[in-house]
Amino acid sequence: MKDLNISIVIALVKKNFTLKYKQTLLGFLWSLLHPAFFLLIFIAVFSSIFKTVENYPLYVLSGLVFFLYFSEATNRLSGIFIKNSHMIKNYGLSKITYPLAEIGSELVTFLIGLVPFMIIMYFMGMNIHFHLLYLLPIIILFTIFTFTVGIILGSLNVFFRDIGILWITLSPALFYMSPIVYNYEIIPEKFKLFIAMNPLYHFLIIIRDVIYLHQAPQLRYVGICLIITSVTTLIAILTYRKTNNSFISNL
Amino acid sequence: MENVIKLENITVSYLQNRQGLYSVKDLLLKPSFKTPYNKQIILKNLSLNVCKGETLGVFGPNGCGKSTLLRVIAGIVKPDEGIRKINLPVSPLLALGAGLENELTGIENIKLLLILSGNFRKENRAEILENVFEFSELSSADLKKPVKMYSTGMLARIAISSILVTEPELLIIDEILSVGDAGFQNKCKSRIHEIINNGTTFIFVSHIIDEVMEICKRGICIKDKNIIFDGSIKEAANVYQELFH
Repeated sequence: MKDLNISIVIALVKKNFTLKYKQTLLGFLWSLLHPAFFLLIFIAVFSSIFKTVENYPLYVLSGLVFFLYFSEATNRLSGIFIKNSHMIKNYGLSKITYPLAEIGSELVTFLIGLVPFMIIMYFMGMNIHFHLLYLLPIIILFTIFTFTVGIILGSLNVFFRDIGILWITLSPALFYMSPIVYNYEIIPEKFKLFIAMNPLYHFLIIIRDVIYLHQAPQLRYVGICLIITSVTTLIAILTYRKTNNSFISNL
Repeated sequence: MENVIKLENITVSYLQNRQGLYSVKDLLLKPSFKTPYNKQIILKNLSLNVCKGETLGVFGPNGCGKSTLLRVIAGIVKPDEGIRKINLPVSPLLALGAGLENELTGIENIKLLLILSGNFRKENRAEILENVFEFSELSSADLKKPVKMYSTGMLARIAISSILVTEPELLIIDEILSVGDAGFQNKCKSRIHEIINNGTTFIFVSHIIDEVMEICKRGICIKDKNIIFDGSIKEAANVYQELFH
């Protein structure tokens, strides 16, 4: 990447972070309340249905915080070049600066939010075990996956504004297509393949291995997640390379 | 004199959305769906050399490609063909409000602008900030307000001050000086003269001919995707005015 200036990225991460909850009364608390509200709803609605799922609140919460991170970050990234059109047109900075700063501030929000959620999950029955250290590489991989999906959406959205709207529309569908509030076993056999085609499904498995099942992530699914991320990275690089020089005339 | 800007046979084109095609629906239903984008040439085979310390005024009718030329020089737009060599760090001031964040205060925005333009080095941050505050003539109460409460002139003061207090090596200004009031405009002009005397290379686009003639010595006029005149600023201004007769 030419002219990528890390200190500018860091400055923009700080800016995004400051702006995110500016003019709200509760400020950063929102990044905790948002998943908490979801969680309460799901516990109230579904916990009696999914009696077979042991420790249902922990099951939901472990999937939910990661899904919301993915969903929020990709939604923001899908509009990132459009939002920064003024900057792109008038500063000679590498265009990748803006999405990098965005994923940076989302990651910081997610990581800070993870601390209280870890405490809540501890009280829900999560073991504090050295297996939790596996979360670190998982979060890195998940963030790369999220970022590259965002880059693909963001680049295409410059040319077809439908992409952004479509993504926001699809987001709830993706939520229910992922085993977050239900477990994979209840899915009828003929639809299982359909669910397994959802990349998030595989990430959820390795996340739950660590947080919910207190074990090392299954290598098979780690492998699948690595392949998925390599594919999205490759597509993201190709899409961005092909389109980024034409951003200016379409922004 | 050392050549600092060298553009050779530059061609720039934009991919332009075919009229009315802004969605997937159009893409699927319109007969032109195979090529939803047209290539439109903005600058063709343009060559330009600028030496260190030169002051260049750029004239041309609206939409002739002046801003695109500046963006090529600033490295924002990549030419399709041709050679671009720029030997100095560029300080572009191309549009008012670029990089400003409505919700942040004047001070926060100034810091951001300085970081974005690469002029906020650790050694003398306090000093640079103080200089920007002073140059902008905004009161400390105003500087603490979010810039969404600013008038256009106040925004211009922030953006312009953040660039002009530094010692730019290659300064590019597109139109925006005329937003400030008479007092601020004069202040900017005398600061630009000072910068130029220190050896800064300066490129200036404005439709206020007298303003350009006052600052620049060399002038070019752009029309039909290329430079149609390159010479003294006085002649360039004449060529430009002739276009409208």
